[in-house]
Amino acid sequence: MFFFRYLRHELRARMRQAVVIALGLALGVGLVVTVIAASDGVSKAQSGVLKGLYGVGTDVTVTKPPPPFNPASGTRIQVGQNGGQVCNDGKCSSSAQTIDNLTSAEYGPIGYSSVASVARLHDVTAAAGGLTLTDNQITIPASLLSGGGAGGLPTPKSFTVTGVDFGHPDLGPLSNATLASGRELRSSDANADVAVVDADYAASNNLKTGSTITIAKTKFTVIGTVTQSAAASPPDVYIPLARAQALATSNGKTLKNDVNTLYVTAASAADVPAVQREVSHLLPSATVNTPSSLASQVTGSVSNTAHLADDLGRWLSVLVLIAAFAIAALLTIAAVSRRVREFGTLKALGWRSGRIMSQVLGESVAVGVLGAALGTALGFAGAAIIDAIAPKLSGTLTTSTGQHFESFGPSGSGSSSPTVAHTVSVPMSAVVSGGAITLAVVLAIVGGLLAGTAGSWQIARLRPADALARVA
Amino acid sequence: MATYRLSHVTKQYRKGSRTVTAVRDLSVEITDGEWLAVQGRTGHGKSTLLHLLGGLDRPSSGTVELDGRDFGQIRDTELGRLRAGTIGFIFQTFNLVPTLPAADNVEAALIPLGVAGTERARRVAEALESVGLADRARHRPAELSGGQQQRVAIARALVKQPSVLLADEPTGNLDEETREEIVTLLEKLWRERGLTLVLVTHDSSVARRAQRVGVMSNGRLSIRQDTRRRT
Repeated sequence: MFFFRYLRHELRARMRQAVVIALGLALGVGLVVTVIAASDGVSKAQSGVLKGLYGVGTDVTVTKPPPPFNPASGTRIQVGQNGGQVCNDGKCSSSAQTIDNLTSAEYGPIGYSSVASVARLHDVTAAAGGLTLTDNQITIPASLLSGGGAGGLPTPKSFTVTGVDFGHPDLGPLSNATLASGRELRSSDANADVAVVDADYAASNNLKTGSTITIAKTKFTVIGTVTQSAAASPPDVYIPLARAQALATSNGKTLKNDVNTLYVTAASAADVPAVQREVSHLLPSATVNTPSSLASQVTGSVSNTAHLADDLGRWLSVLVLIAAFAIAALLTIAAVSRRVREFGTLKALGWRSGRIMSQVLGESVAVGVLGAALGTALGFAGAAIIDAIAPKLSGTLTTSTGQHFESFGPSGSGSSSPTVAHTVSVPMSAVVSGGAITLAVVLAIVGGLLAGTAGSWQIARLRPADALARVA
Repeated sequence: MATYRLSHVTKQYRKGSRTVTAVRDLSVEITDGEWLAVQGRTGHGKSTLLHLLGGLDRPSSGTVELDGRDFGQIRDTELGRLRAGTIGFIFQTFNLVPTLPAADNVEAALIPLGVAGTERARRVAEALESVGLADRARHRPAELSGGQQQRVAIARALVKQPSVLLADEPTGNLDEETREEIVTLLEKLWRERGLTLVLVTHDSSVARRAQRVGVMSNGRLSIRQDTRRRT
C-alpha cells in the first residue's frame, strides 16, 4: 500500500529526527510510568500496613465512634499528698490492687445483628463481626495510695486483643495469619478460654503453646502462635468472639451481643463505593472505612512518600509531558516547514490536503508508537531504579487504649490517656501495571497525534502556488 | 481536447505593504495540441501565468477557462481533481520527493486518481520505460543525475496521461547536452501524445522549437513567433 511505503521511506530517511521526537515523548511518558509505578508501590505499601490490621479479604470496615468519655466509668487513679484512691468503673478503693480491663475504647458498640443485615446488602459478598479491644493492666502498690509513693504512676501494660468471629474465617485480621505452632481457633472453641497469640508478641513475653495469658483477669490457654506478613501490624492476641463479648466493656457497659468492627467484602473493587453508600444508609451513625480512607490515617515515611508521589511526582510528570508534547509539536512543525516543496508538489499533482495531512499524521503516530515503546522501557527502568535504591518505608497507626490516668502530687498534677502505636516497616516496590503501560501507549500516541495535527494544520493552510513559489 | 482561453486575466498579490501585479490584463487562447513557449525576464510573470494555467492559483480578475470550465467558478477540490487527471507539471528543480524511489515518485501522480495497485505498477513501469529509466526504478533522486531526475519528473507528469503539460524551466538546472536530451524527449512526447504544452524557458534555442513563442514583460504577454505547425 502506497501510504505505508511512503511512511516507511520517510521514517527511514528521517530516522534521526524521528528518534529525537520519539525520545522526547519517551522521556515524558517514561516519567509518567515511573511516577505511576512508584505511586502504585506506595499504595501497595499502605495497603500492606492496613492489611495487617483488617485482613486480606476485607474491602470495607465499619465502626462507630466511641461514646463520650464517662468520668464515672473506666479507671481513675487519684494520688495526692494525703494518699490516693483507685476508681474502677465508679467503684473506688484505697487498697493495693491490680487492674485488668478489656475495653473497646477506640470504637463504639454495634449490635451483632447488624452483621447479618450488612451481609444481605446488594453489593456485599460477605460480612463478619469482630471486637477490636485493648487489655490494660496496671498494678497500684499500697505505698502509692498511702501518700508515700515516689516516682509517680507505674507504667501500665497494654496489648491488643481481637475477638474472632468463626462464621467467616476468611475475613478479619486472623485471615492473613499463618500458623507457626500449635493449632488455630475452631468453632468448637467458641466458649472456651483459649487464645492464639502473635508469634512476635509470644516471643517477647515468653509465651508458647500451653502457656497461659491473663485477659480481663481471666486465664486463657495459648493453643497456638501465628505469624503475619512483614508488612502487617497484627493484634497481639486472638480469642473467640463470644469470650471477648463476655469480658469486654465499653464505657463501663458490657459488650455482650455487640461487636465493634464489621469486616465486609465487596463483590468487586469497583463496588466498594456502592457498598460504602449502602452501609452508610443502613447504619447512619457508623463510620465506613475503605482502604483509601484508612490510608489517610497512616503516618510515617509511607505517608510522606505517598504525598511526594501524588503531589510532586504528578506535577513533575505533567510538566515533563507538556514539554515533551511541545517539543514534538515544534519539531514536527519544523519538519513540515522543510517539506513545503514536497507538499506543494503533491498538491500540484492533485493530492487533497486531507490525504497529505493523514500521511503526516501517520508518520507522527508511528513516532508516537516508538515513543510509547521507549517510554515503557524507561518506565520499567525507572521502577527498577526505585526498587534498587528506595529505603524501607514505615507506617504508623495510633489507637487509643481507652485508659485515663490522673495524678495529684507534690510535683504537680497530671493526666494521661495512653495510646498504642502500630508501626510497620514495609519495603517500597515500584510496580509497572498493565494500566500504566496502556496509559503510556495512549499518551505517546496522543503526543504524536498532537504533533502531527500541529504540522498538518500548516499543510491545510498551504496554497500550492505559494509552496512552489517559496522554493522557486 | 485541451484548449485554454484566458480573458483579461490580472493577478495581483501582496508583498509586504506593496501590491504587486504579476499578470496584467492578459488575454490569449492556447489551442488543443499546441506548444506555446513563454520567455521573459525573471519576475515578469512567467511562473504566475503557469500557476494560473495549472489551477494552482486563481486570477484576481478575468477568467481562465480550460475546455470551457472557468477555474474561478469551480471549487478547490474539483480543481484538484482537474489537476490530477488532466494537467501534468514539470518543474525546474524537478520537485521529486527526496525519500521515495523513482518508481514511487511516478506512482504518486496516480494516487489521487484512485488507480488500482496492479494497474499503477504497470503504468509506472511503462512511463519509466518511455523516458529510458526502466533500470532506475528503485533509485532515489539523490542517486540520479539531474537529467535522470528530470526524466523521472517527466514520467510522473505523463503517467496519468494528461492532455496538458505545463513545464516551468525544465532545462534550467541542466547542462547543455542534457538540456538537448530533455527538450528532444519533451518534443517527442508532445508530438506522439498530442499534448497541449506550455513551456516557460529562458533559453531561446529551446523556445524556437515551439509553435508559438510569447514573451512576458511586466505581466503582459506578446506573441513573437507563430508557426502553428507540428515539426
